[in-house]
Amino acid sequence: MTTDTEAVRVTAPAPVPTQRGRRGGRRRGRGERSSPLWTWLALPGTVWMTLFFVGSLIIMILLAFGTTDLAGKPHFGTSLASVRHLADSAYLKVGLRSLVYALITAVLCLLIAYPIAYAIALHGGRFKNALIAAIVVPLFVSYLVRMYGWSVLLSDDGPVLKAGRALGLPSSVHIVNTNLGVILGLVYGFVVFMILPLYAAMERMDTSLIEAGRDLYGGPLRTFLTVTVPATRQGALAGLALVFLPAVGDFISAQLMGGPDQIMIGNLIEDKFFAATNAPLGSALTMVLLLVLLVGMFGYVRRARRDEMDAVR
Amino acid sequence: MTPSRPRRSMTRRSLLRAGATGAAALAAGACAYLPVSEKAVAAAAASAEAEPAVVPRIDGDLVYFNWADYVDPSVFTGFSKKYGVKIIQSNFDSMESMAAKMNAGNSYDLIFPSAKWAQRLALAGQLRRIDASTLVNAAAIFDYYPYFGDPWYDPKSAHTIPFTMYKTGIGWRQDKLGSLTGSWQDLWDPAAYGHNFLLDDRDEVLGMAALKLGMDINTSDPDDLTRIVALLTGLREHLRGFDSDDYDNLLDGNAWLTQAWSGDMASVMWQADDASIYGFEAASEGSPINSDCYAIPRSARHPGTALLFIDWMLKPENVEKNINYIGYPMPVHGSEATYAEIVQTLPQCVITVDDLNRNLSFRNVTPAQDDARDTAWTDVKAG
Repeated sequence: MTTDTEAVRVTAPAPVPTQRGRRGGRRRGRGERSSPLWTWLALPGTVWMTLFFVGSLIIMILLAFGTTDLAGKPHFGTSLASVRHLADSAYLKVGLRSLVYALITAVLCLLIAYPIAYAIALHGGRFKNALIAAIVVPLFVSYLVRMYGWSVLLSDDGPVLKAGRALGLPSSVHIVNTNLGVILGLVYGFVVFMILPLYAAMERMDTSLIEAGRDLYGGPLRTFLTVTVPATRQGALAGLALVFLPAVGDFISAQLMGGPDQIMIGNLIEDKFFAATNAPLGSALTMVLLLVLLVGMFGYVRRARRDEMDAVR
Repeated sequence: MTPSRPRRSMTRRSLLRAGATGAAALAAGACAYLPVSEKAVAAAAASAEAEPAVVPRIDGDLVYFNWADYVDPSVFTGFSKKYGVKIIQSNFDSMESMAAKMNAGNSYDLIFPSAKWAQRLALAGQLRRIDASTLVNAAAIFDYYPYFGDPWYDPKSAHTIPFTMYKTGIGWRQDKLGSLTGSWQDLWDPAAYGHNFLLDDRDEVLGMAALKLGMDINTSDPDDLTRIVALLTGLREHLRGFDSDDYDNLLDGNAWLTQAWSGDMASVMWQADDASIYGFEAASEGSPINSDCYAIPRSARHPGTALLFIDWMLKPENVEKNINYIGYPMPVHGSEATYAEIVQTLPQCVITVDDLNRNLSFRNVTPAQDDARDTAWTDVKAG
């Protein structure tokens, strides 16, 4: 049994494979500061982001205190009406629902994506790139169009449920306008963003570590849990963030696959910006959502940095 | 960063340019809103009188802005051929996005706003004056549908010509539910629970509840709204969804019963495998009436061509083509039979002069009232 703990100890500094890349990055980082060339090359991107990203954020913050005129045009101002509206309990309820949906979606995506990424990265052989392409290509078609397609396929009289009923599925079963429908839609829409970082992490993983684990008498499960999982944790964390963040703000899945009890915060924000021509309230809601997500992101960044420090140590 | 300042003063200046309307707005309050009061409407009408009307003559290619697929393509080609101009088409997907594109500074020669938006744009001074008597084919509208001679949304039709009309009622599956009672109460039919939809539209849903409770359909009274929210919350727990895609829901089987626009029922008739299973009823408590119209924005570069195109659209053969293409009735004398034929099995889709005169239409309200209605709608929708 001692050999088993031995195996664990050997693999303990888990994200070893990323070590080289990280260190290299750091060294380059130090070089950047001394070379003016890199500063100049970073300038266009910085200006671009400042103008169009930070700029639009500032406009949105200001707009939260604005008003809308008769022709539907928003104006800046000092009105607190939108902020007062945020107290409506409907927003809290729908916001919490969105967070729960996004969390379930992220976990489901992880469970689905892990074996897929694993199979492609470690057993894909010469088909690796073709398989990854097959996963990415559907993204070329707009998410909205694909979701619309699902809503037709899964509708009550659609082919899926018709076939199901022919095989004895009770007619009371439906998919569109249920929690299941919305979460299926979200998982379908965002699972790719989980597969890609996981695949990248597994690709980078040094497979000799797995062999080492087996050599040290680790069983397949034990080796998987103590070698593969820690080595790909960063990919999984990145994937969770990449899935969770857009899923919280999504409105298309809830609109096409959901009913009255599946409305998400994105639907209410979209409603305020468009149907209600109330950009100020839409902006205020967006800012609140952004703040909540920033807190989550902060946690993620800290965790990622700690992993990085571990790797460098 | 003080982007608010130049924008504000721009608005003020353009308001002042609009004359009486702007003065009324500024007098009413320091905010950027135009209150929709009787006074403002009268003031807008007065300033419209003073302004020269668009002259129907070719002054360039037509930049056309409408819902997608709302005009028979052969009507476009006919106009292009006859007058030797190109038609540059773009589409909007909602009234709000139409307004947003215009606010962003895009110039269009011809737009198709709903009555409510026509009023907003006209009051904001964004529409050109149109004199219907300069059109050859407009008599078929105004001589037979006096309602449109002085509609609520545009006094004396000074800026608009009516295009299509529709009403809101209930579309349902007769094979699933049999016949209904002809009241909004039918939306509460327990046999349809789990297969029933309301439109995803604030005014339609609040308006339906208001009619059922015997209130004004545009009510923003707090007590009224409380009762409306309570009534709708009771229905909500049995409801399959809020969705404006009424005809798709009827066609793909998700809906056995849905609040529906009469205009969409033609699509159901045309696309259904068996059209006879569908019904449409207008509720006895009253069915809201709405209309879209032609309008020429102030920023139009070729207003003359736009007005000629409106006249072209009103030619009897083109009216017939368009009704058969989009399935909406138009208030044009001589076209009634064409529409009635399409909805032969759904006679309640037809809009009569009496329907129009009941004047159950969604109006613009003041910002505070709008706010109250919007909060009620959010509470209904989010539960």
